[in-house]
Amino acid sequence: MESKKKFCKLLSLLLALTLVWSLTGCGGSPAAEEPVPDAAPAAESTVDPDAEIVLAGYRNLAPGEKDGYYCSKILYVWEPLVTQDDNAAPVPCLAEDWEMSEDGTQWTFFLRQGVKFHDGTDFNADAVIANFDRMGIEVKSSSFYPLDINSHYPNLEKYEKVDDYTVRLTFSQPAPTQLYNMVNFGSAMYSPGCFDENGDFNGICVGTGPFKITENKLDEYVLLERFDGYWGETAKAKTIRVKVIPDADTRFSALKSGEILGVIDLNAIPTSLAVQLEGNSDFALTTTKSTMIRFLTLNGTEFPFNDVRMRQAVSMALQRSVITESVYDGFGTPTTNILNYSTPFYKEFPVEEDLEKAKELANEVLGGQRVTVTYLYNGNEAAQKGEAELISSWLSEIGIDCELQPMEMTNMKEQMKTGDYGIARMQQGLSNSEPATIFRRFMLTSGDHNQNYSLGYQSDEVDALMDEASAALDMDVRTACYDRIQEISTQEFPVVPLFNDMTLMAYSTKLTGYDAKLYGIELPLVAWKQ
Amino acid sequence: MGRYLIHKLASLVPVLLGISLAAFVLGVLSLGDPAELALSQGGYEPTQEQIQAMAHQMGLDAPYPVQYLRWVGRALTGDLGDSYSSRMPVAQELGRRLPVTLKLAVCAMALACAGGLLLGCTAAAFRGRWPDRLIQAVLNLQLSIPAFWLALLLILLFAETLGWLPTSGNGGLRYMILPASVLSSATMATAARLTRSSLLAELGRQYCTAASARGIGRWRLVLRNALPNAIVPVVALLGNSLGGMLGGSVIVESIFALPGIGSYALEAINNRDYPALQGYVLLTGAVYVAITLLVDILSMLLDPKVRLGGRKI
Repeated sequence: MESKKKFCKLLSLLLALTLVWSLTGCGGSPAAEEPVPDAAPAAESTVDPDAEIVLAGYRNLAPGEKDGYYCSKILYVWEPLVTQDDNAAPVPCLAEDWEMSEDGTQWTFFLRQGVKFHDGTDFNADAVIANFDRMGIEVKSSSFYPLDINSHYPNLEKYEKVDDYTVRLTFSQPAPTQLYNMVNFGSAMYSPGCFDENGDFNGICVGTGPFKITENKLDEYVLLERFDGYWGETAKAKTIRVKVIPDADTRFSALKSGEILGVIDLNAIPTSLAVQLEGNSDFALTTTKSTMIRFLTLNGTEFPFNDVRMRQAVSMALQRSVITESVYDGFGTPTTNILNYSTPFYKEFPVEEDLEKAKELANEVLGGQRVTVTYLYNGNEAAQKGEAELISSWLSEIGIDCELQPMEMTNMKEQMKTGDYGIARMQQGLSNSEPATIFRRFMLTSGDHNQNYSLGYQSDEVDALMDEASAALDMDVRTACYDRIQEISTQEFPVVPLFNDMTLMAYSTKLTGYDAKLYGIELPLVAWKQ
Repeated sequence: MGRYLIHKLASLVPVLLGISLAAFVLGVLSLGDPAELALSQGGYEPTQEQIQAMAHQMGLDAPYPVQYLRWVGRALTGDLGDSYSSRMPVAQELGRRLPVTLKLAVCAMALACAGGLLLGCTAAAFRGRWPDRLIQAVLNLQLSIPAFWLALLLILLFAETLGWLPTSGNGGLRYMILPASVLSSATMATAARLTRSSLLAELGRQYCTAASARGIGRWRLVLRNALPNAIVPVVALLGNSLGGMLGGSVIVESIFALPGIGSYALEAINNRDYPALQGYVLLTGAVYVAITLLVDILSMLLDPKVRLGGRKI
């Protein structure tokens, strides 16, 4: 009897839960659960220009106090001393002007006056020095780029305040391209009051940008509000909420349902989904050059790719435009240059593809035999499978049989380090527009990627050119060295480039000013279309 | 009863130590350098010098046993260490995310209980007739549709097309409907099938035949007479599923942009974030053991045979 009573109680509880469920769920009443932003006052004939704009990205764009930068540059909360224009050339931001000493070891920066941080404190030389002091404490990891003084300011000997609006940096070696290292993340400036003794943020970061963060709910959203005391033109939107929606399909559905009005950041929208929006007048796409380049690495420490002719044959056997058109829906630019096309140092070379010549070269190396190699690709990127199948079909024509192996990226890199592979599909972002880092890492004998990816590349000429470039104070000499290195890369193929990526973003046509830039969008220009 | 509980609680310690050690060993055995991964987010590739400096900063240059013992020592004081990738205290991160996962799991469990029992009872009551066959077909569908696909279909229908529900995000119950439906789908189907088969076994017993012969209605027979005896294995199944829902909601959390512990574990695995992973394993292990304990207690309350441990009255 007793157990029956208990059972009745249990059953009643279950039924009550079901009732609550159906009332809350099927009733469809949005109720007053929490302040859900009404993103789209579409039905209104006149749009409130101050209504909140909701966007979304795949990750936290403001990872918070423990991140070296607190938030990404694309939120326009903090500003750097030096930023870049559409061609990735350094241009003034918080530093109004600068000059380099004749020997290239001293850089003097003249700071913009009348700039205030969001907390009302003045931006001046003391603030810059405080930011340098903070950078010197330790390397700060970040979701974006490591905050490392040695990486952004190599060979820095000292930094000093000359007067209230002038700062001087002294280097032990000539640093003629230092400006490129300082672009955006290299010279982010925060109010000195927002750091603790370890250099971590003690709350929401305080910058000088056109937006300030008013709320940051980690992994959910960050709320931006226009900073009316901004030194330049104030932002057009009053508030912008940037949500975190990791899944691309969900982001796409949120965009189509009007829950969000635009997608931003890297991987904003896969090309396969973007093409579905083409022809839909409610949405638009915006594209620009990306700093990412996609390429194949070949294991140059072993036969057959230790022979330059085989690497040339692989490059010539590919049909890059077929890859970009059929796999990436045209969102990519074929290239054979190791350097990404977003830097002003980039030089255009014709993409040479000739199957007959490829067969000849491969035949010279293989002597009529066939060779089987392992082709590693990132299993998390669906498009790479189709791409690998295309590439392996072309390579089979020159005598290379590929065993396709999808892998998790970290494991793949470990396998490449051991040299236990033939071909691998990789990608590389350009951390700043100065290309020396890329050349050094891939093409110098001691380069870390050259070794870790088992590229086995060695060129005395490249080594000499890099030495010459690093000693050159004259930009023309440096540019000539870089031009030649790029040319060598298209002939000797330390890696086999496939294509330069495009940054692709989608937005609702209810917005204006939503233009893709080299790094994100220009958020201050985004507004409701009136 | 008291001794039983003490025994269960005492067994928690070696279990948790064992799983934390297993998590640590698996982390160490897996390829990938945490220092490199901590620096290489957002497509950036760190240099060898940066990696070495970061490894030292993270204490990765100490021998593995030292690293493990350090962690256990701190864990005893409630400090689960700092995440390698976000540098936030793991305990704090788990504390922040656990309520989201709990909310999702409780909602999913409510759905699974209600749906499972309702469907199971209906199928048993109409055994062999069309409602039974229809329910069986639905349950087979629920069991065979992959969670991620079901999630995308539901988003497409209820959020994108009909606009009734939000696509994703963390909020009130309205935000939980789609993810909880996905998370509960397979469990609901399993519970319904188990309920049906247990009920059918009970309905075949003499007391049910006798009750039926005395003219008791079909629903009354199922709900009042057979179900109390048939429900014990279903409760055990649902209880164990709750543990799975708490720990295994990775895909659902990721698709529906819910910042719970499942998505945290996924990030931790990708980043070789050992402290985060160990914290996750420890937490889900503890919760799992606690739930098993609760299910045992509930079974004792529901079933006198379990309570008496086989002793005769």
